[in-house]
Amino acid sequence: MRIVVCVKEVLDPDAVNNYALAGRLEIGDDGKTLTQTTIPQLMNGFDEQAIEAALLLRDAGAECTICVVSVGADPANQLRHASALGADEVVGISSPVAEPDAHVVASLLVAHIRSLGGADLVLCGRQASDDDQGVVPALIGEALGMPVVTVASSVELADTSALRVTRVTPDGDEIVEAAMPAVVTISNEIGDPRYPTAANKLKARRVKPTLVGPDDLSLDADALAPRVLLTQQFVPTVQGNCEFISGDTPAELADRLVARLREDKVLP
Amino acid sequence: MTTTAIVVCTWSGARGEVLEEAEAALTLGRKVSVALGGELQWLVVGAMPEGGAEIAQRQGVAVLENIEDAKLAGGQADAFVEALAQYCAERSPRLVLFSQGFDTRLVAPRLAGRLGSGVVVNAVDIEAAADSPLKVTASAYGGDTRVVYELAGAEPCIVSLLANAVLPESVEGAASPSVRNVAVDLSSVEERIRVVEAARTEGPRLEDAEIIVSGGRGLSSPDNYKLVEQLAEALGGLPGASRPLVDEGWVDSSRQVGLTGKITRPGLYVAAGISGASQHMAGCGAAKAIVAINTDPDAAIFRYARYGIVGDCLAILPELIRAAKK
Ligand SMILES: Cc1cc2nc3c(=O)[nH]c(=O)nc-3n(C[C@H](O)[C@H](O)[C@H](O)COP(=O)(O)OP(=O)(O)OC[C@H]3O[C@@H](n4cnc5c(N)ncnc54)[C@H](O)[C@@H]3O)c2cc1C
Ligand SMILES: Nc1ncnc2c1ncn2[C@@H]1O[C@H](COP(=O)(O)O)[C@@H](O)[C@H]1O
Repeated sequence: MRIVVCVKEVLDPDAVNNYALAGRLEIGDDGKTLTQTTIPQLMNGFDEQAIEAALLLRDAGAECTICVVSVGADPANQLRHASALGADEVVGISSPVAEPDAHVVASLLVAHIRSLGGADLVLCGRQASDDDQGVVPALIGEALGMPVVTVASSVELADTSALRVTRVTPDGDEIVEAAMPAVVTISNEIGDPRYPTAANKLKARRVKPTLVGPDDLSLDADALAPRVLLTQQFVPTVQGNCEFISGDTPAELADRLVARLREDKVLP
Repeated sequence: MTTTAIVVCTWSGARGEVLEEAEAALTLGRKVSVALGGELQWLVVGAMPEGGAEIAQRQGVAVLENIEDAKLAGGQADAFVEALAQYCAERSPRLVLFSQGFDTRLVAPRLAGRLGSGVVVNAVDIEAAADSPLKVTASAYGGDTRVVYELAGAEPCIVSLLANAVLPESVEGAASPSVRNVAVDLSSVEERIRVVEAARTEGPRLEDAEIIVSGGRGLSSPDNYKLVEQLAEALGGLPGASRPLVDEGWVDSSRQVGLTGKITRPGLYVAAGISGASQHMAGCGAAKAIVAINTDPDAAIFRYARYGIVGDCLAILPELIRAAKK
């Protein structure tokens, strides 16, 4: 079976967070791009875990070709990492639209999947850590007519043509079955992704990702017309007004805090 | 004459959905409908929630609509998407606004894909003006930034409103809404996803808790999480956690507060050994009062906190448990 894993390159969210906490996250003159050039680009964490989900299926005995694909300006580093992890094919798609939205990205991914002759399973991250949207997988599912199973913590083959997926819902785990082909989005509960072995890392250095351009994919104007245009980005301000409780011992601190909470009617 | 319809869509029984959130979405929907000279409609999928008619009236809803169909009872997405697509084809609304819950995150973008619409989730606000695109402000980078999107594409625009982003505001003296049942034909829908084992809500939910005590990596070992549980119990609240504790397997994922966990709104949120990363604050920032206990006086959590203790949570939690019981 063919598993396509969709991966996105994002700014390291922890680094973005650290800049934000230090009050040094800044937006450029265009009013929408983060200016911090020192923040490294990484593979979106959930997408790395989507690759892990594919590798776990293979470990469990599924005969599969794992194809990792990314739409982006220069995804070569991420694709080499995917290759070192065990992907059989790595493909970079360059977007003809300067600022592709989820619809354009999904159109490109769908066109590529069609050009492969389809996929039995499309794995995505539950959301990208930059836009936090989690929209692309749903759009892929609609376009390909596949069911979409979101927020999975485990994916197994129920039989040769169906998947058994555990979803992390607010009410606890839900186990579902879906016939393939299907789209599944992966959540962090699947567990830490493995590290590539040193030997595979070395081998992957020589891997040249296949590069696909819009001319290789048949796409009409509507498929490439963004629906969602980013016009502005800003850093919200957090107003601190913390009252620090003082005291000489933990007991004193605790007593004063509880007294204060009762005084302010935060506690009965 | 056709009027511009602004539709707020909610469904009963949806996981993680809170009626107060439906009301917040109605308040935002009303703002858009006023700006566009449109009519606010509230589409309830499934049984009408208790108190729904009163909420509709105080939110200035013109038409209260209801879709009921046995196929919608299973709570899976195929029937929802089909029902909403049929509804949109018939009514041509300008905007469909969801109050965001777990299932919305799938239904909203699938509906957009089906209709060719633009979609934004995690929205916190919408600006509307006649003859210009809707501008939707949404949270990004886990809350570190806000982005403003302009929506193009086919109508309706589809937006999902983040929990706790808008405060419900009622209008005085609105007429009671007219009520309309919407008929859809779901006979051809065969749900492609079959639930083998349904999720079981175990006990009270963090989303509904008035008091939450959460622990983070500052607890330094799984054993110490019991201090968090004990304080939660002493205060009559529920225990929560930051994501690393879930990732490390110290606690079950149903305890996780944050962007990819529970979005809570307690009266009191105690954060012990939690740094205050934006992705965590996304799940507790709406608490009325946050108490932070952290050894690092510069920890970000103190910027969100109402009360702070700079100190070792392992020493302070036992004393708090004692003091809370007094
Ligand atoms: C896409 C994405 C989604 C995410 N979703 C979530 C989410 O839903 N929920 C979530 O929580 N996180 C989420 N995260 C992770 C988030 O970015 C942070 O990494 C995480 O919240 C940090 O957890 P923490 O505060 O427990 O640990 P740390 O950041 O390591 O902080 C530990 C804190 O404990 C303090 N400390 C140490 N020892 C003591 C002591 N003895 N007493 C008191 N204080 C002490 C330290 O000073 C420090 O401030 C997400 C990240 C990404 C990229
Ligand atoms: N540019 C991209 N290239 C490949 N996959 C993507 C891209 N953007 C999004 N995805 C996939 O869709 C998921 C959700 O992304 P998003 O809708 O942007 O939050 C990601 O976790 C990826 O699996």
